[in-house]
Amino acid sequence: MSRRVAVTGLGVVSAIGADQNTFWHNLSNGVCGIRHRTITADEDLSFELPIAAVEGIDDRLAGLGRDVARSDRFTKFAVLAADEAVADSGLEFDEALGARTATIIGTGIGGQSSLDEGYFNMLRKGRRPHPLTILRIIPNAPASHLAIRYGLRGPAFAISSACASGAHAIGVCADLIRSGAADAGLAGASEAALTFGGLEAWRAMHILSDDLCRPFSKNRKGLVIGEGAGVLVLEEYDRAVARGATIHAELVGFGMNADGKDMINPAVEGAAGAMQLAIDGLNINRPEAVYINAHGTGTLMNDPTETRAIREVFGAGANRLIVSSTKSMHGHLLGAAGGVETVAAILALEKNIIPPTINLDEFDPDCDLDYAPNEAHARPLEFAISNSFAFGGLNAVLAFRKPA
Amino acid sequence: MADIEATLLDIIKEHAVGLTAPLTRETPVADLGIDSFSIVEIIYEVEEKLSIEVPFNANENPFGEMTSVGDLVDALKKLAKAE
Repeated sequence: MSRRVAVTGLGVVSAIGADQNTFWHNLSNGVCGIRHRTITADEDLSFELPIAAVEGIDDRLAGLGRDVARSDRFTKFAVLAADEAVADSGLEFDEALGARTATIIGTGIGGQSSLDEGYFNMLRKGRRPHPLTILRIIPNAPASHLAIRYGLRGPAFAISSACASGAHAIGVCADLIRSGAADAGLAGASEAALTFGGLEAWRAMHILSDDLCRPFSKNRKGLVIGEGAGVLVLEEYDRAVARGATIHAELVGFGMNADGKDMINPAVEGAAGAMQLAIDGLNINRPEAVYINAHGTGTLMNDPTETRAIREVFGAGANRLIVSSTKSMHGHLLGAAGGVETVAAILALEKNIIPPTINLDEFDPDCDLDYAPNEAHARPLEFAISNSFAFGGLNAVLAFRKPA
Repeated sequence: MADIEATLLDIIKEHAVGLTAPLTRETPVADLGIDSFSIVEIIYEVEEKLSIEVPFNANENPFGEMTSVGDLVDALKKLAKAE
């Protein structure tokens, strides 16, 4: 009898809410978290850009304890999200469970704020970097801090696959539980790269929108970068049932592959292949009960490519699916995208409400699925799928089923 | 060099989150509640505040013998060649 994986805890930090309830309220009401902000490093170094920043939670970030207070912003986001997920799950990590719990937290970049600050001090002020700089920037800092915070001694590491990091982390953690290498896990991702240096690098790529994120809309202009974290508590299914846990969803599929083609342009075959791997064996015969939280970046290339990939996998059934890109509201959280969007997909599945794709106001013939434009839709759901396709052609897709 | 000693005690006090009694030279280091991060932070702040370079190498275990805050202050002063 093969082991199954339950999702028993959800935690989220984003521009549209730094807790499950606020996040869902804003997500289901089509609230946009994107704002024009001035990004400043010094008096002669600043620019304006639309971003989806996490604001108004400084007190909560400062109150995470002494160790975490001295960590980078991306670690603080991960800890805040993980604390919510653990509380939600009702799990208590005693000696025995701690030894069998994995901590897999992805990130696209790592401690960008600490990197920026270190270089700024060195090159502008002639000062040395802070002695904790290394411990702050390493991509595994969130996994390590969480392992220490909760006494988790199972497999622990970071996964970095750009915008697919979160989906890879959750999928790999689920595989560790299925294989018997762990009985539970904290899995997700975190990103906080809205710094002067980080955003200048994105600007140099010339793919950022200058106003909003408009996924699947003909007038889309590109990415809006966001920040935050999404963390799940995963548990071996029978164990979760035995302790009477509330099960948000069952993680029933994980597909991952690489395009092996291009660093920037996505490939239909890669995206379709990863989706196919994620749904293999699920016997989806009612596509109208499937919600796909799309990668939906709002770039020229991604949206039609992803649309074609969905059509390739679901065939005629694609017209009965419902798809949306919540990036239109919380922005593109880069490595953390898969974490936050998985939380969105699972909440949608639980509540039978599809959060909208906002800012979708001009039809594009190359993007011709039902994207829940601009308003949430109520629909009985059985499955939720979360797509993540990274720069560099790395794809990760997660599939969830409503618990029986 | 009383200023330096006062500065050092001030820096140590900021990191002594476990301490309830007043900080003196006689306070046991074990009572300070400082962790692995704190020593590198203390060294860094000593360097910043006194504009000196502390030739500190964690691998040489320069604080290995200390038991009281006085020992810690003396070790820092010795490293800082401030005496």
